[in-house]
Amino acid sequence: MANLSLKHIYKVYPNGTKAVNDFNMEIADKEFIVFVGPSGCGKSTTLRMIAGLEDISAGELKIGDVIVNDMEPKDRDIAMVFQNYALYPHMTVYENLAFSLRLRKLPKDEIHNLVVQAAETLGITEYLSKKPKEMSGGQRQRVALGRAIVREPKVMLLDEPLSNLDAKLRTQMRAEISKLHSRLNTTFIYVTHDQVEAMTMGTRIVVMKDGFVKQIDTPKNLYKYPANKFVAGFIGTPQMNFFEGTLRKDGNDVHIKFANSDAEITVPCSKLDKVRPDYLNGETTVYMGIRAENISIDRVEVGRSKAVVKVRVSHIEELGSETLLYGDLNTDGDGISDSLTKVIIKDVGNGDYKAGDIIEAALDTDRIHLFDRQTEDCILPRIPEYNYLDCTVSGGTLNFSGESIALPPAIKCADGEYELLIPVDAFKVGKDISVNVENCEDICGIKLLSAKLNGKMLYAVVPGDVTEKSLKLDVDLKKITLLKDGKKVVEPMPAVNCLDGIFVKKKTKKQAEENGKFKTLKATEFSLETEGRQFVVSDTLAQKLIAALGVKKAFTSPLKIECGAHSLTFGEDGISARAEGMLDYGKEKFLKCNVGGKYVYLLADRDYEGEVRIVPDLDKVGIVETERNIRII
Amino acid sequence: MKKYRSKKGAEKLSLALIYTVLTIISVIWLLPFLMLIILSFRGEQAGMSADYLFPRQWSFDNYIKLFTETKFLNWYGNTMLVSVVVTVVQTIIVLVTSYALSRLRFKMRKPLMNVMLILGMFPGFLSMTAVYFVLKEINLTQNLFGLILVYSASSAMQYYICKGFFDTIPKSLDEAARIDGASRHTVFFKIILPLAKPIIIYTILTAFIAPWGEYMFSSFIMLGNPDKFTVAVGMKSWLDNSTMASEYFTIFCAAAVVVSIPITALFIWLQRYYVEGVTGGSVKG
Repeated sequence: MANLSLKHIYKVYPNGTKAVNDFNMEIADKEFIVFVGPSGCGKSTTLRMIAGLEDISAGELKIGDVIVNDMEPKDRDIAMVFQNYALYPHMTVYENLAFSLRLRKLPKDEIHNLVVQAAETLGITEYLSKKPKEMSGGQRQRVALGRAIVREPKVMLLDEPLSNLDAKLRTQMRAEISKLHSRLNTTFIYVTHDQVEAMTMGTRIVVMKDGFVKQIDTPKNLYKYPANKFVAGFIGTPQMNFFEGTLRKDGNDVHIKFANSDAEITVPCSKLDKVRPDYLNGETTVYMGIRAENISIDRVEVGRSKAVVKVRVSHIEELGSETLLYGDLNTDGDGISDSLTKVIIKDVGNGDYKAGDIIEAALDTDRIHLFDRQTEDCILPRIPEYNYLDCTVSGGTLNFSGESIALPPAIKCADGEYELLIPVDAFKVGKDISVNVENCEDICGIKLLSAKLNGKMLYAVVPGDVTEKSLKLDVDLKKITLLKDGKKVVEPMPAVNCLDGIFVKKKTKKQAEENGKFKTLKATEFSLETEGRQFVVSDTLAQKLIAALGVKKAFTSPLKIECGAHSLTFGEDGISARAEGMLDYGKEKFLKCNVGGKYVYLLADRDYEGEVRIVPDLDKVGIVETERNIRII
Repeated sequence: MKKYRSKKGAEKLSLALIYTVLTIISVIWLLPFLMLIILSFRGEQAGMSADYLFPRQWSFDNYIKLFTETKFLNWYGNTMLVSVVVTVVQTIIVLVTSYALSRLRFKMRKPLMNVMLILGMFPGFLSMTAVYFVLKEINLTQNLFGLILVYSASSAMQYYICKGFFDTIPKSLDEAARIDGASRHTVFFKIILPLAKPIIIYTILTAFIAPWGEYMFSSFIMLGNPDKFTVAVGMKSWLDNSTMASEYFTIFCAAAVVVSIPITALFIWLQRYYVEGVTGGSVKG
């Protein structure tokens, strides 16, 4: 019965290995969260940090509204179910269940009521007088669950609770745990390496790999919109098919050519308009993914489709309700070796085929996933980074898709044709351009507006729902990029300024008058030192820093202070900087300054020259510890 | 066709062999003790030689003399006091040290364990003279407390076997208890100790036996004060010269029997706790 907040949580071992990297998540009350990933991905470590069994190296963990980083497990009001049950062997089931209640010194009859109630919920009443060793695995697991639910904790933590049970019992317990969740109305956090468990139980799933969070989303969205190749391959059985290939834009179509085979399919351009144009040059190799169930070998389907490939069937698995066809796009390949032309097709009909046949299969082009070859991130994301448009500049005016905007003095470029990149977050309701709203969808809490700008798709992140049919938008010109032949002609203004700093502690003495007597009051003052100046920080910020870095390291670790252009102001006792010219974006003006060899941009209301002094607003900064690369705020 | 020896026959043969060897060994082990018991009931003087085993005259005289004419009862009390106190102190120290070394992770844990292990390999009497002078400086020679101090001082070094046992108790039990609301102390007393019965018994037994039969340190520390002798030192003093030895030899045997009683009793009483598989059923099975 509590929400959890994990902010920039890290687990770093003394030898420098990072078991958990920058874990950020807000867990609402009564959610069923599943951490899933291969072994060694840091999911259990994260759970144990929430439980208080592992120290948190850096970051802030809140249960309810309380920061619990330094709290003993017993004070966190959580319960945990262990993979190996961890029942107390010298106690009967009753005593096992009552143990935590007795430690809380509850009255005897209340303990009895609670134990009996929990035992009834789990159907273990008849075993109450037995010792754990007299029970089977499934019964022990129930006792372990009972021990957790008996004191109605704020958060239930389950660490691979079903992995020691056999397949049938596991399916049964899975359903029971889900039922328990809806009955108890408590926040559940469940760790498993089994994606089926994750998909069937979680309201939201955290997919982890090598200490990094790969994606956090609902089961459906993980399946439909994997954010990277790892998630795509991890979720769903059989595994998603991956191929290498190139994309080539040709008019209103994009041709997808598969590597190491003759296969080629055609997809309408509108389906790939969120893809960065340089992927569509016909040369950049990308990964393509398509699930077995999105490939059809139905004759009618194949006849209709423009995306048909030839597959050589290598072997067939009959599963009763469906058939899995293993094959190879390379008709000379064997379909068994782990090549990137191997394909698995799920057929629900009664196709007539045998091993060695060459059959035709239609790919569902709405369900194709594309990933970058190096980063393995999805290049067809739900929220694109930029809008890619062609534009011309003439006489200080930017013309694109039939709209024209006057360029401010800060953007200087010669007349000519350019590629224009407008980030999706660079739009604001205003008056520059008018668009026809097509759709406004909610993607993990972010509202994405899809609109037509004179026939061209435009995506914009908006603060709230949009109901109007047509809308006028302003473009934030300090965020745009202009490209000519792949080279940046106009670059956006850096969004964050970085300053090096260190956290310092100072003992101060104050003379204060109390009852007519002067007293010396001692106090500790915390501040951030950067470029030779110290800025006093608030107590909450100081506490966060100390909690994140530990008392010893807090005052020695080098820090990077990140502040946006809007969180820097001019002030008397600020950092000394040299003004190096103004950037006039029309509505806003920024001053470019040189601070110890680094450029810093800040909002300026008038022109400045020579030396200026600037003060960061410490309530709005981001702080990163540079030695271990740990984000604190 | 090759002839196979029947399995049953082979089994019988091997059993017969095993029992023969065991019988021989047990005779070798038991004979001295049997002699001791029989000699303690000999009515006539024996001198230092036991040229015949069965006494010509059975009697309880040796036992009566032991308790009435010698300081044996006094020594027995001394030894009992020292042993019981040392047992209590040492058992507590060993259990606590082992738990800490098994469960807590702190800097210098490994080096500490190694140093203790290596130090424990040196025989204690190497430091005897040094220990004697230290005790003399703080006026603890010819004093039972001094003896207790010497015996229990190095208790922590006995951690090894006990720690090995604690290591076999799954850590998740500690963790489960801590989440259930237990402090480290509660975990130790309510979860770990009940599961550690066999090793506690083992620790108690070893802790009791060592000071009970120890001779070297106590002979040094109690030198010249027969009132504070332990049984080992006292009984050895009977055999120091041959005139005394001839008079006291049978009494010595009676004393030896009396000395062996507490250890035997302790063992018989505690052995039923040596149950295997105490942790059965706690974790996956």
